[in-house]
Amino acid sequence: MIDIRQNDATEAVQSDPILQTDGLTKRFGGVVAVDDVDLAVEQGELHAIIGPNGAGKTTLFDTVTGALPPTAGTVWFDGEEITDLPQEARPHRGLARSFQSNQLFNDLSVLENVRVVVQTAQTGTFSLDLLGEGQDRYRDRAFDHLERVGLDDQYSTAAKNLSHGDQRRLGIAVTLATEPSVLLLDEPTSGIGTTETQETAEMIDDLRQELDLTILLIEHDMDIVLLMSDRITVLNQGEVIATASPEAIRDNEDVQNAYLGGMREEL
Amino acid sequence: MSDRRSPETIARWATESLDTDVLHRLRVPLGLVAVIVFIRPVVSHPVLLGYEQIANSILIWMLFAASFNLLIGYTGLLSFGHAMFLGFGTYGAAIGVLHMGLPFIVAALISVAVATVVAHLIGRLTVQKGEIYFAMLTLAFAQSVYFIANQNYGGITGGSTGLSGALPAWIESYRGVMYVSLEWLRFDWYYLLAVVFLIGMLALWQLVRSPFGRTLAVVRENEELARAVGIDTRRYKIWSFTFSGMFAALAGVLLEINNQGATLHDLSVTTSGDVILMTVLGGTKYFFGPLTGVFVWLFSRDFLTEFETLVVPLSEFPIVRVELSGVLTYWQFFLGLLFVIAVLVAPREGVWGLFRGGVERLFQRFGGDQE
Repeated sequence: MIDIRQNDATEAVQSDPILQTDGLTKRFGGVVAVDDVDLAVEQGELHAIIGPNGAGKTTLFDTVTGALPPTAGTVWFDGEEITDLPQEARPHRGLARSFQSNQLFNDLSVLENVRVVVQTAQTGTFSLDLLGEGQDRYRDRAFDHLERVGLDDQYSTAAKNLSHGDQRRLGIAVTLATEPSVLLLDEPTSGIGTTETQETAEMIDDLRQELDLTILLIEHDMDIVLLMSDRITVLNQGEVIATASPEAIRDNEDVQNAYLGGMREEL
Repeated sequence: MSDRRSPETIARWATESLDTDVLHRLRVPLGLVAVIVFIRPVVSHPVLLGYEQIANSILIWMLFAASFNLLIGYTGLLSFGHAMFLGFGTYGAAIGVLHMGLPFIVAALISVAVATVVAHLIGRLTVQKGEIYFAMLTLAFAQSVYFIANQNYGGITGGSTGLSGALPAWIESYRGVMYVSLEWLRFDWYYLLAVVFLIGMLALWQLVRSPFGRTLAVVRENEELARAVGIDTRRYKIWSFTFSGMFAALAGVLLEINNQGATLHDLSVTTSGDVILMTVLGGTKYFFGPLTGVFVWLFSRDFLTEFETLVVPLSEFPIVRVELSGVLTYWQFFLGLLFVIAVLVAPREGVWGLFRGGVERLFQRFGGDQE
């Protein structure tokens, strides 16, 4: 499997990157959370972003998806500059994200969480559609997404009543419902057990193959990162200190000092 | 695709479809008709309030509170200036008739249209400002409108006395009761009011169940996520505010006829506050919540005010004859207490939610015994 993926990645390098940042910087007052980041994500690859806590990984996601306006630099998606594109317009281009904490529509049912997003993907950022019964639309499509993450038999449960692991999976289903081509996953396994972590990793792998996704992944579990990624970018204090294959990252001295070394000491 | 679904899922889905059959689909229209049919005999029962006219104001306030719940319950926006739009309805209709000589229907339509446009513009300025700023800005706008009406520029709004006597030509008042009087037909004004109420409420119901309305719920639940999945939350909130203002103005037009004029009180911060209290008391989570809140509030206000002596059937015995005239002049205190309890016990469910919950539990126990 790993061999095949590496071949894919090699092929992809020859085309233009689907997602690219150029000198992307985000400052909060005197703190530079994202510092002059040049990132290129190739079509079809699984690109992991690692780094110690506070390295600016989530802020990088926020600036790429438009949740936060960057202080400097540009973001390119699918050959077009999207730096100034409103946040809500980006999912309709195919750029979607999941959140580190469980961000859901808590009081609504599992099905409705996904169904409204399917509706949005079909009708755009705003639609003054006042006719018919909203809850009847796009049910089938929403069920397909729930099946993918294995939540279809809990469709009528309120999102807030799901277990933590199921909430994480619903978060992924909600993101998938935007029909992305590039998926930004922010620690999809945070706060869940070892077995569930394994399941989630397998699910991401399946999704990637089935839906032909490009994935940018923030993940703390090094085993998963080293096993799944095509390439890894290491952030430290907002700066990129290395971008390379998992094998090269493991052997990179800078990375070991900044990150893996720290991890070993912790362990 | 469906063959991949587990049998249990298909079964449960099928059961749910059965649930959502005709009766379930029509529960809200049927409930609204029941409100119209039963509210008058109930309030006019001698043991209760004993006079029918209160039913008119109850229906009007129900429509007003339901329009407010579109904001607070369905979109999660707390406005402190909703009386402004009620006032656009009452003053608009009165000004149109008195100063412009327009037929009442035309004046009413224009005032609702003006309220809708103004709501849209105020919405554009305010909805994205954050909860507290939104509340303060709506209050400020409403107070400005109140101030303008009070100043009586050019004698248009009648200052503190308001405008009176602007009635449609087809309304006739006889011994304190209003009738719709056409050439060939004469009936109690209540029935026309009830029909307009029904149309307005059905339109609101359609609004909240439509794809647009379902998106409002998502904006309320998690605005950050809503934006991240591609929803223009600002525009949804602006349109929710617009529709809310429109239906409040419709309630205002009805109020103008019912009160035979427009009063400054319609525009006051007290009115804005009352509609918040009633809606929250009834429960913002449900479509019938605000209706319940209005009924409980207006009914108990009149009931407690008029009720000076509690005469228990054994009134021959002085020991159970309780003089309440002293206590019940503090009716606002008792309503306030009820409000505090409802909000503490069930913040979003309110009185209606507690009632629903109680009925459901009874039903389950009953059903469980039978099985």
